[in-house]
Amino acid sequence: MAAQLDDMNPGISLTGLFWTMALPEESVEVDLGKGRAEFRVERAKIQDYGTFVNSLFGGPSEPATVSFEVHWAGRSPRQRVVDSAGEMEGQFIRNAATMEWSATTAKYEFVSQPAGTSSSLFAEIGHERNGAFFRDR
Amino acid sequence: MNLAQLASLRRRRGRPLSRRHFVRSATGAFAAGAALTSGVWTPFVSAHEREHDHDPANPVPLPIGSFGFHVNAPVFLDPVDADPSTITDFQGFTGLAYISGMVSRTDRRTQAKVELPFLSSDMRFMEGEYRGFDGRVRRGTFGFI
Repeated sequence: MAAQLDDMNPGISLTGLFWTMALPEESVEVDLGKGRAEFRVERAKIQDYGTFVNSLFGGPSEPATVSFEVHWAGRSPRQRVVDSAGEMEGQFIRNAATMEWSATTAKYEFVSQPAGTSSSLFAEIGHERNGAFFRDR
Repeated sequence: MNLAQLASLRRRRGRPLSRRHFVRSATGAFAAGAALTSGVWTPFVSAHEREHDHDPANPVPLPIGSFGFHVNAPVFLDPVDADPSTITDFQGFTGLAYISGMVSRTDRRTQAKVELPFLSSDMRFMEGEYRGFDGRVRRGTFGFI
């Protein structure tokens, strides 16, 4: 069996924010009516933890820089979701996504195959409100 | 770790987990599975304190989800309609995708190149209004990478 080689993400913040980082506003474009979205990031500074477990539990890591472009496309009936227990409601379109990415670590450079060669197990875009915005609706 | 392995872990422990891997394959996944079934399941704070971690304008993480971290894993380990956002007190657009493909990895010293799979990379965005730790509403764009 082969081994996992790299696991790149922004880490878990002291507040518990999970693998999430602030990005420039222009990183995301969404057109729900057409079932499309684009998510582009250039040279985001993240960490390479090597393995998933090491990442989850905050083990050693080394700096990495990643760029990517994710495209969602495809129309489907909007799914309305209301989760009172989870304090979330929204409308979602389940479609498909592709991605092209590159990354650099101290040891390696990564360049993915063209986006058209990638595929998604599951993809969705939508509009939602949760937490205080759900309670205040 | 593939979907079957994740499902197996969930069955054995009754406590699901999620992950995002850019480049990985089966043995690492197996090792990951072994470690993740060791019973260590408390929310963890990375040793890598990030810049602005204490900024009151930061978004508030989603409440702890089904596997002990502030995130849901729709389809993999949570219902398909689980909240894809990783922040709460949020209203706006979200996107989530689990994407697989191939990547070339080049050793920067030797220039040796290998082709590797990346499996179900979990990519998400959140764009809209959010309430920070200070209670103020702001606009922001966030990526789950």
